[in-house]
Amino acid sequence: MAMTSSDVTRLLQAWGGGDEHALEKLIPLVYEQLRTAARRYMAGERPGHTLQTTALIHETYLRLVDVRQVKWQDRTHFMAICSQLMRRILIDFARSRNYKKRGAGAVHVDFDEALVVTSEPDANLVALDDALSRLALVDARKSRVVELRFFGGLDIKETAEVLKVSADTVMRDWKMAKVWLLRELHGGVAHGT
Amino acid sequence: MEPDRWRRVEQLYHSALKMPLELRPAFLKDECQGDDELQKEVASLLSYESSAAEFIEFPAFDVAARLMAKDNAEQANSDGTEPAVTSRFHVLEKIGGGGMGVVYKAEDTKLRRTVALKFLPLELSPDPQSLERFQREAYAASALNHPNICTVYDVDEFDGRPFIAMELLEGQTLEHCIATRPLLLPEMLELAIQISDALDAAHTSGVIHRDIKPSNIFITNHGQAKILDFGLAKLHEFESVETQAQTSAKPDPMQDGDPLLTLTRTGVTVGTAAYMSPEQVRGERLDPRTDLFSFGLVLYEMATRQRAFAGDTAAVLHHAILNQTPVPARELNRQIPPKLEHIISRALEKYREARYQTAAEICADLEALQRQSAPKHLPRVWIAGLGIAATMAVGTILFMLNRPPRTVPVAPEIKLRQLTTNSSENPVIGGSISPDGKYLAYSDTRGLHFKVIETGETRPVPKPEVPKGQSVKWEVGTWFPDNTRFLVNVHPSTEDWRDWSSATSSIWVVSVLGGAATKLRDHAIAGSVSPDAMLVSFRTNKGKFGERQVWLMGPNGENARKFQETDENTGIAGFGWAPDGKRYGYIFTDASGDTLLSRDIKGGPTVTLLQNAELKKMDDVNWLHDGRVVYSLHEPGNGSVCNYWTMRIDIATGRHLGEPRRLTNWPNFCVFGGSVTNDDKRLAFMASSGSHTSYVGDLEAGGKWLRNISRFTLEEDNGVVGWTADGKAIVGQNRGAWSLYTQSLDSDTPEPIVSPVAGGALLVGDTTPDGKSYIGRIWPNGESIENPTIPFPIVRIPLTGGTPETILQLSRNGNVSCARPPSHTCVLAEQSEDRKQIVVSILDPIKGRGPELARFDSGHELNLVDPPPCAISPDGTRLVIARGSESPIEIRSMHGGLIRKIASQSVGEVTWLTWSVDQKGFFVSRKGQRGDELLYLDLQGEATSLRKCVGSDTCQGLPSPDGRHLAIIDRNQSSNMWMMENF
Repeated sequence: MAMTSSDVTRLLQAWGGGDEHALEKLIPLVYEQLRTAARRYMAGERPGHTLQTTALIHETYLRLVDVRQVKWQDRTHFMAICSQLMRRILIDFARSRNYKKRGAGAVHVDFDEALVVTSEPDANLVALDDALSRLALVDARKSRVVELRFFGGLDIKETAEVLKVSADTVMRDWKMAKVWLLRELHGGVAHGT
Repeated sequence: MEPDRWRRVEQLYHSALKMPLELRPAFLKDECQGDDELQKEVASLLSYESSAAEFIEFPAFDVAARLMAKDNAEQANSDGTEPAVTSRFHVLEKIGGGGMGVVYKAEDTKLRRTVALKFLPLELSPDPQSLERFQREAYAASALNHPNICTVYDVDEFDGRPFIAMELLEGQTLEHCIATRPLLLPEMLELAIQISDALDAAHTSGVIHRDIKPSNIFITNHGQAKILDFGLAKLHEFESVETQAQTSAKPDPMQDGDPLLTLTRTGVTVGTAAYMSPEQVRGERLDPRTDLFSFGLVLYEMATRQRAFAGDTAAVLHHAILNQTPVPARELNRQIPPKLEHIISRALEKYREARYQTAAEICADLEALQRQSAPKHLPRVWIAGLGIAATMAVGTILFMLNRPPRTVPVAPEIKLRQLTTNSSENPVIGGSISPDGKYLAYSDTRGLHFKVIETGETRPVPKPEVPKGQSVKWEVGTWFPDNTRFLVNVHPSTEDWRDWSSATSSIWVVSVLGGAATKLRDHAIAGSVSPDAMLVSFRTNKGKFGERQVWLMGPNGENARKFQETDENTGIAGFGWAPDGKRYGYIFTDASGDTLLSRDIKGGPTVTLLQNAELKKMDDVNWLHDGRVVYSLHEPGNGSVCNYWTMRIDIATGRHLGEPRRLTNWPNFCVFGGSVTNDDKRLAFMASSGSHTSYVGDLEAGGKWLRNISRFTLEEDNGVVGWTADGKAIVGQNRGAWSLYTQSLDSDTPEPIVSPVAGGALLVGDTTPDGKSYIGRIWPNGESIENPTIPFPIVRIPLTGGTPETILQLSRNGNVSCARPPSHTCVLAEQSEDRKQIVVSILDPIKGRGPELARFDSGHELNLVDPPPCAISPDGTRLVIARGSESPIEIRSMHGGLIRKIASQSVGEVTWLTWSVDQKGFFVSRKGQRGDELLYLDLQGEATSLRKCVGSDTCQGLPSPDGRHLAIIDRNQSSNMWMMENF
């Protein structure tokens, strides 16, 4: 039975408050949107229609959050929770995909072996997630900027609203976080130019 | 990391970002004050800056959706959804699969032969337009009928899935070969020669592969190489172009519209990313040289069985391709000859000018190596005829013998090295190598720099102090023999280098050891320092053909005395000291051209070294210490390309000893401004190349706003010159073949009109009022800007096809503009003989020059490059004219009467001027300090900036006749310092 949007909002609030069970009920909603996007790519639509993808993410949010129930000032709060939710669900998706690719016999993957980067781009989604967690230890705000922008699909202005800083600060954070993360993915070493 | 320290890292990172690349190391060193760790940390972050541009710029959601789509597609492919039969082809069995699609063996029922069918992956499903283009390219490559190109029979669709029907090959991909067994030298060379020969054939017929990699090269069981998938890569490219248009519509400051974003994200496999050329990574326009780089990577892998650039993500690979030099191939495989390593590294030059320029060149080098490596009596044909096993056997024997190459007398190999990497936004202005060959002094728009050639370390040098508010450019001259000081000319920054004169320039001496620069002289341009450091030559007193006097002074500006002088109607330019310091050479210019002369500094007769006819096409002459001159010569047929030659001349008598000999054969730039070391081993010079880029944008608010600007021409150096009468298509010229085409705004396929337009580049003119023809001025090929003695033809080109006709010969610079119906008037605005007036006449598209309408004082001497800024209004009743930077833009009647002045004191020096279609404003280009700027100027004189063409020396805006679009022509000149050795 379809959930009403106020149900979803409650679930989201619950998850934001630490209730992991709420997640299970939210996953199908996000997956549904993901499948819609995937179908569009399959149907031979030209890749790179960023506007459409962004619209889909926003549509996802709309379905997650009942705008009539949420007060305007809470909007940024929800954008933040949604970004975390997206990160969680998308990384889980990438992980499970890795698992499937490696086959059913690969349940007992050594920790070291799991760290070996494969040429699958989604493996790097997982690696990026790890790197992002490390960034949070160095500079929590930059890590959040990436979470909001990359996982949450927010633009600079929205990110600035959520974090209550200026758009310039977000830009600077974003630039810095990107090089930091890229270096992490590259083993943390410098590149001679 | 401590928060304070992290903040410091961050602050330094952002400050350094604002600095030019070459100054960053010095800046960091300075700021970190010995804190090596801090410096290292910031530098290591900075090293990722360029490759981070596209990194995570697309939402994770999008990445995940795409992965899901890919999984679904793979599943669909493996689910046995094989097409058992198409209308023409019966599928027999599946013979392969992979990133680029599933391959089936099939029977062609129509032609009764066995073929291979390759179904493209779903995510590559092209739209009809790009499918058609792919078809065309695939057929074009096939049509070459080259033994090393896989033949494509058909490109079609089945059940909505496109497939390629092609020659059925038996064997393996090169990727598989490399993975399973070592390739021995003879086989490697043979395959490489075949591949390069195929590339040469394809390139010569205008087809670029764009995705050369081991998995796209098939080795048949007979040891024959076959290149697969010509034209397929273009499908990706189409995506990127489209994406660019999409993203530019979104006002997101983080989007830089890099087509690479798509490539990285759409999961073009890492396999493809690893073989991209630097220009491909940067999303630049591609030419055949992209394939040569990728082929270099394939060669590297054949030789070493390793990829030259390793990485697991496209971002990491892109970074490596742009910034890293691969481990030398011989370090990984000692058995390959040094010459092969040399061939590989030349193919892998990041800068395409420094790379092999044609596949034929690589092929020739490979063949030379093959001849050297194989016994003399073993001709290539014979090797080619052998199976792999036999070839391997021969190879093994050869390796055991390990014989040195046969002793063939080979000319010393010229080494070429790029010393600066300035972008076209900040071109190098001048540079000079120190007499000991250790240092390079050079200047760009940002300042003076000093580079240690061995280490590449660059340091800023204190600039001459100029009065506050004065903006200048520095031009580095020659060094003093002590290797610590050099001459610098200071010019006003508003002047184009072609306009530099002693009237506004001063000479300074700068020391690399520090200390303030000292001024030697005002109103003079430095020549060079004598070998004994006792005399500095300079020129002064400007006349009709440049400076009229050459003077000599002491090293501190003392005891200046006149050395040579010419009259008002001639010019003289310093050239250089003879190595013995006793004679001085100079160039004498009059109406007939230039002559290179020399004279003893103590007096005596002048000796002619090079006659006008010899010197005419020279751009640079260097006097070597061993009695040779090294000079650059324009290539016949392409005036913008020149190469170095050498010749021996007796300085005392001017006698030529021996024949001129060609030193270089670089096809894409012009070299000039040379300086030679004392030992004659190194010659530093400037190399510059120009390229045209055309953009089209939508005009809004009558012309005030320009939106959705996108790059229009896709091929290298094509240029828009105008519009068709309906405003639906542009008229453009291919500057390689000089052919003319139209291209509709919603298509990316040019429709040829005529080829070629005789003899040169078509400069912007106008479409005739009846819309039937285009009238433009031809810049004769090979004619230099400075010496426009030949009349320029003005031609009428029928837009529906037909022969261009010359309607008049113009001896000076002119501009053609036409009104729109119901008017049928065109006018020609040309320079008067003394270049002080603009003369406007009627131009009849059929009969040529009509009656003169008006003459205007231009207020200053018109330059030779920019067409006179004067154009007819669309209704054919008025003219608009800009007469120098001091006067306002004026609207005048057709007979010259003043109608209105546009208060436009802010506009400055106008280089281009045309009416908006509604006649309520103008599109104006003005000269700026860092390139031209395109403005919209309304009748009240209010200017709105439409585009800053940074680094551009021509930036013209052409409104479409329906007033809805604006085409922009942006000509960019980039120049850098290079060094030649072993010449």
